[in-house]
Amino acid sequence: MTFSNSNFPDKEGFYGEYGGKFVPETLMYALEELENTYNKLKDNKDFIDEFYKDLSHFVGRPSPLYFAQRLTDHYKSGSIWLKREDLNHTGAHKINNTVGQILLAKYMGKKRIIAETGAGQHGVATATVAARLGLECHIYMGAEDVRRQSLNVYRIKLLGAHVHPVDSGSATLKDALNEALRDWVTNVDDTYYIIGSVTGPHPYPMIVRDFNSVVGKEVIEQSKDLFGKMPDAVVACVGGGSNAMGIFHPFIDIKETRLIGVEAGGEGVSTGEHAAPLNDGTPGVLHGARSYLMQDESGQVKDTKSVSAGLDYPGVGPEHSWLKDIGRAEYVAVSDDDALKAFHEVTELEGIMPALETAHAFAYLEPLMKELDSSTNVVVNVSGRGDKDINTVAEIDGIEF
Amino acid sequence: MNRLTSKLQNLKESNKKALVAYLVAGDPNLDTTLDLMHLFVDSGVDVIEIGVPFTDPIAEGPIIQKAHDRALKNNISLKMILELVDKFRETNTQTPIVLMGYLNTFISHIELVQSIGENSADSILVVDVPGELNLQTYGITNPNINIISLISPTTKDDRVESIAKNSTGFIYYVTLRGVTGSSNLNIEEIKNNIQKIQQYSDAPTMAGFGIKSVEDASTLAACSDGIVIGSSIVEMIADESKSKEFGRIGEYLREMKTAIS
Ligand SMILES: Cc1ncc(COP(=O)(O)O)c(C=O)c1O
Repeated sequence: MTFSNSNFPDKEGFYGEYGGKFVPETLMYALEELENTYNKLKDNKDFIDEFYKDLSHFVGRPSPLYFAQRLTDHYKSGSIWLKREDLNHTGAHKINNTVGQILLAKYMGKKRIIAETGAGQHGVATATVAARLGLECHIYMGAEDVRRQSLNVYRIKLLGAHVHPVDSGSATLKDALNEALRDWVTNVDDTYYIIGSVTGPHPYPMIVRDFNSVVGKEVIEQSKDLFGKMPDAVVACVGGGSNAMGIFHPFIDIKETRLIGVEAGGEGVSTGEHAAPLNDGTPGVLHGARSYLMQDESGQVKDTKSVSAGLDYPGVGPEHSWLKDIGRAEYVAVSDDDALKAFHEVTELEGIMPALETAHAFAYLEPLMKELDSSTNVVVNVSGRGDKDINTVAEIDGIEF
Repeated sequence: MNRLTSKLQNLKESNKKALVAYLVAGDPNLDTTLDLMHLFVDSGVDVIEIGVPFTDPIAEGPIIQKAHDRALKNNISLKMILELVDKFRETNTQTPIVLMGYLNTFISHIELVQSIGENSADSILVVDVPGELNLQTYGITNPNINIISLISPTTKDDRVESIAKNSTGFIYYVTLRGVTGSSNLNIEEIKNNIQKIQQYSDAPTMAGFGIKSVEDASTLAACSDGIVIGSSIVEMIADESKSKEFGRIGEYLREMKTAIS
C-alpha cells in the first residue's frame, strides 16, 4: 500500500502554478534531504507498517463515520455523517501528520523537533509524539494565540516541550511559522521541522497531505459499508488546509463527490476582516510556496481575523489553490457568528462539541442542505474537539469562571 | 557595463576589498535613509544594500525584523524606494545600489521592476529564491538589473556551480547557519567554502551575515572579495534615530573600511 494516488506535485513541487520551494538558500539542502528520505520510505513496507501500527495503537484509528441523526432531522434533507477525527488521541486530525513526520525524523536521526502552532492542536500533537520518542521539542506560538489557547499551552508544557511565544507581526500563526523557519535556518543540521499543515515549501504540502489522507481513504471504505455508495459531498474547514486535504485527496478522482472547503469568514468576507484567501485573495508567495494569499497591492501580507486560532492564517496550502482553479473543489466562507452558532447547535443536538475550526464546516450545512434532497449523503470532517475553545466561547458569551 | 559590475571589477584590479553596507528603506523615515546613504558613501562604503521592507522577512533576525516593522508603519513601498534612489542619484551617480527583499514584493511590482532604468538601482537580491531558480521565470528580465544569488554553508557542491552561473552581480556567501545578526561564525568553514566557490566562478564573492567586529571584518575580507554589514548598522540606526546623531555609524564604517584595507 502506498500513500498517494495523484500525479501532483511535479518534480519541482508544483501543483499547476502553485507550490514550489521559495526559501533561503540555507534550507535547500534540508528540504532535499527530507524529500529524498520521504521518497525512499513512502513505498517501504517496514515504514508503512510502522506508520499504520502507530495510527491504530497510539492514535486509535480508524475513526468512526458516525450517522448524525439529530442534525439530519434538523435539516430535513440528506443524511449527515461525521468523520470523527475529534476522537483521535490528542483530539484532532493533527496527530495523523505528526505520527508520520516523527517517524521521518527518527529515520533521519534528528534529535531536536520544532513546530509552529495556531490553535495549539498541532503543538500538542507534536509535543506528544516527541515525548513518546524522548526528543527535545520546541513549539512556536503567536503571543495572541498563547493567550486565547492557554489550555493547550499548558498541555504542551506538561508534555515536556518548550513554548516560545512570538510577538512579531500580528502575533498569530503566520508569525509562529516565520519564527519556526528562522529556528530551522539556524539549527538545520540537527533539527527536524514538523510543519502543521499542507503549507510551506515542497515537499511539506505533499508529505502532510499523504499522512492525513488516511482519513479520506477510511471514509471511502466506510461509505461503502454504511450507505453503499460514495458520499455526494464532503465538507471540511480550511485553515492551512490539512484536514480538508486529507479527506479530499482520495476523492479527487471520484468525480461524483463534491468537495467543499470552508474558510474563516471572520466579520464577513465583504468587510475584508477575515482569513479566507481562497475566497478573497490573490496568488502570492509566503512561507516557501506560491498560493492564494491575503495581501495588499504592494504585496504585503494582510492581518487576518477569525474567532478560530487554527484558521487565522493569510495563506493556504498550494494544492487547494490548484483544486480551486481547476474547479475540482469549491471554497466558501462562513462568519465568526455563524460558526459560533453552529458550535452550540452541534453540541446540543449531537452531544459532540466541535473545535471552533470544525464549527465552520458545520455552519456551512445550513446553506448546503437546502440545495440537497433526502437521498443525499453528506460527510463532515470533524477535524477536532472543542475542549480547547471553552475559554474563548465562554468569554464571548460573557461568562467568567 | 552595470555600475555594480564595474565597481567590483575596479576594486579587484586594484586589489581592494568591497565594503557593502545595509539599511532598511524608510527606517525611521525616507529622508533619514537618504542622509544615511550619503553618510555611508562619505565613510567609505562601496556598495549600498537597501532592504525592501516585507511583513514576513523569514531570513532576518530580530534587529532587522524590527526595522522592517518600523518601515512598514510608514507604508514604504517599492515605488517609494525607487523614488528615493532617484533622489540619491541626483548627487551620486557612482555608488552601486542593491535592493534586497522577498519575492512577493518584487512580483507584486513586476512592471516597476521592469522599468528600472540605467540611472537607478543596479541589482536585486531576492532572499527567498534559491539560486538555481531563474528570476526570469517570474518576469524579471530587465537588462539594467543584475541578480545576486546566495550560497550558504549547507549548499552542496553540485549546486554551487549552477548557482554561481546564475549570479550576474556578485555571489553572496552566507557566513553562518542562521538569520541576520546571529553570531556563530566558523572562520575555517567560511574560508574553505569561499575557496570552493571561487573555483567554480569568477564572480566576486561577498561574505555576509553575522559580521560585527573589526576582527571578523578583516579575517573575512582576507578570504573574500568584500564584506556585507547589516544588523550592527541597523541597530545603531535604531539607537541613534531619536537624537538624529548618526556620527557613530560613520565612525564605525570608517573603522571597518580600515580593517579590510
Ligand atoms: C481542530 C482543527 N481543525 C482545523 C484546523 C485547521 O488546520 P488545517 O486547515 O490544516 O486542517 C486546526 C488547526 O489548528 C485544528 O486544530
